[in-house]
Amino acid sequence: MKKKWLALLLAVMMVLSFASCGGGAAEEATETDLASMSWDQIEEQAKGTDVAFYGWGGDENRNNWLNGTVADYLKENYDINFEYVGMDINDILSKLTSEKEAGETSGSIDMIWINGENFYTAKENGLLYGPFTDQLPNMEKYVDTEDPETLNDFCKPIDGYEAPYAKAQMVMFNDSAVTPEAPKNADEFLEYAKKYKGKVTYPALPDFTGSAFVRNLIYEKCGWEQFQDMKADKETVKAAIEPALEYLRELNPYLWNEGKTFPSDSTALDKMFQDGEVVMNMSYGPFSVASGIADGTLPETCQTFVFDNGTIGNTNYMAIAFDAPNKAGAMVAINAILSADLQLTQYSELRDLPVVDQDKLSDDEKTAFDAVDLGQGVLSQAELLAHRLPEMPADLVPVIEEIWAEEVVGK
Amino acid sequence: MKDRTSASSKRNRAMNLVLIITSIIIFLPVIVTLLWTVTGRWPWPSLLPETYTTRTLHEMFFGSSNLWAILWDSIYIATAVAVLGTIIALLTARATEIYRIRGRRLIGYSAMLPLLVPGTVFAMGIQVILIRMGLGDTVTGVILVHLVAALPYCVTIMTDITAAVGNSLEEQAQVLGAGPAGAFMHVTLPQLLPGILSSASMAYIISYSQYFTTLLAGGGKVKTLALVMVPYIQSGDRALSSIYAVTFVGSALIVFFIFEALIHRIVGDAK
Repeated sequence: MKKKWLALLLAVMMVLSFASCGGGAAEEATETDLASMSWDQIEEQAKGTDVAFYGWGGDENRNNWLNGTVADYLKENYDINFEYVGMDINDILSKLTSEKEAGETSGSIDMIWINGENFYTAKENGLLYGPFTDQLPNMEKYVDTEDPETLNDFCKPIDGYEAPYAKAQMVMFNDSAVTPEAPKNADEFLEYAKKYKGKVTYPALPDFTGSAFVRNLIYEKCGWEQFQDMKADKETVKAAIEPALEYLRELNPYLWNEGKTFPSDSTALDKMFQDGEVVMNMSYGPFSVASGIADGTLPETCQTFVFDNGTIGNTNYMAIAFDAPNKAGAMVAINAILSADLQLTQYSELRDLPVVDQDKLSDDEKTAFDAVDLGQGVLSQAELLAHRLPEMPADLVPVIEEIWAEEVVGK
Repeated sequence: MKDRTSASSKRNRAMNLVLIITSIIIFLPVIVTLLWTVTGRWPWPSLLPETYTTRTLHEMFFGSSNLWAILWDSIYIATAVAVLGTIIALLTARATEIYRIRGRRLIGYSAMLPLLVPGTVFAMGIQVILIRMGLGDTVTGVILVHLVAALPYCVTIMTDITAAVGNSLEEQAQVLGAGPAGAFMHVTLPQLLPGILSSASMAYIISYSQYFTTLLAGGGKVKTLALVMVPYIQSGDRALSSIYAVTFVGSALIVFFIFEALIHRIVGDAK
């Protein structure tokens, strides 16, 4: 009796595992040493393959751009079937960790949308394939390879493990019909908060946007240079940002709910701004106001502004998973996204800052970029880049978030 | 006499009031969600949206998300979980309640175990096992994982109803000459029907709304409605979230109606 059951169980298991095998095996056979191949060979190997790009899926415009414009471009020019899969970076990393733990050599993720702290941990833990960016022709052709943002991600060396994807920059915005003024520095921001008492706030750290905004205020009060090579030691950091902490505590009583609590994340603040509960909002997407006005979620009187001393900008990147089933295909896709063609559509359709170096563009390409209509209520690319400050080292970020929670909230 | 009618009409009025309040509590949010599906901006204190948009409908039907394929996969997975879960639960319940096998209480308690382990922990552990079995990123793997999440509810429901129905009538039918299969099909099954329906619906809705387990077991390759919807909810796009929510609830309701009709038809024919 028992034997019968065991036999049945084993039979079921076998059927299930056969049914699911399918793919996988074929690709391993052709996996040769990519690092020693020429670009033509890589393109040849990528022909007719599938590429899966994993990243945040909460922006419908970006999803459509990737699954539409980019997928069509790759199909047409390289015969690659490109698919974008929406998944949070934390889940992507935990999936890769599990695959590494299970000894998987051929997973399902080819490309990853990543930057900052996540890149740092992924690279440290061997979850990424590389170095590969040296082999991409468009890296040399379109990207400024000496730019600190090409060499370092949040001050941590990239070493060829990821290629730039798009540039982000902190901006603030409000409805000029409600509040005509646009604070130009931290002191004016304090005055602004006093004037519109209880109607200004920022997302609670460690929210991505809230954290960047606080770092921006720290730059206002303490300058940015000293942080670039600072050690991630709590005492050192705390001593360095003391003037900013003082400022933040002074700001608190004029904030929403008197700074006793903060909106849980930038999503919550977005909704509060749309509902008129607060009068100012902020974003890491420099042209998000234009998208909001186009979508009808923001009024046409919205205006974007930055501090005179500049706001923090960073680049986000594309990396390849250590167990990517199609590394050649991923390299071709990444190379294509770096091209002026696709960077231009990213700029025009998504209104994201391009990563191409303006000086490396041909005249035609330059004209095409200049002709893009960014929409209403935003600053020009030149104006943003003129007010762009570098990020802090990735490992300082969590330290500052911890200090903020202890020294600022409710104080 | 007069007193009694006025008392009962008073009770009636009270009942009506409760009914009305309950309806409002249920329907008001549904109406607001429906309105949000086409809302552009709706700032406080406007009673109705300030601007309307067709962006969401466009995204739903012409966007790159491929709604029909996603709907089909979600319904396929959830239906498989509902059918398998209910069959397993029915067999478990008969084993513990009718045949009273040894260790039946242990089985009863262990059926509850999946409820004790947090979903995220379970998902991360099972993912490694699925990959080793070659089931990572497959529909089969997702169905198995959902099944584990649904079984505690199915087993509880089926155990209760099996205990209540018992097997005396089935034995009676056998005494009168019916075969074991016939006795079960014609006598016991119709009596178990309410339980089977609730167990299947429960399993269906549990599978339908799994996010994290689907994400890890399916690796993003297996796309269900919940998987596409949650990022929009997290990113705070209220209009898109609403239209996905309406699709989610609407499609589940339609499937329930079909379930109910089908089961009644099958059992009705058996009679």
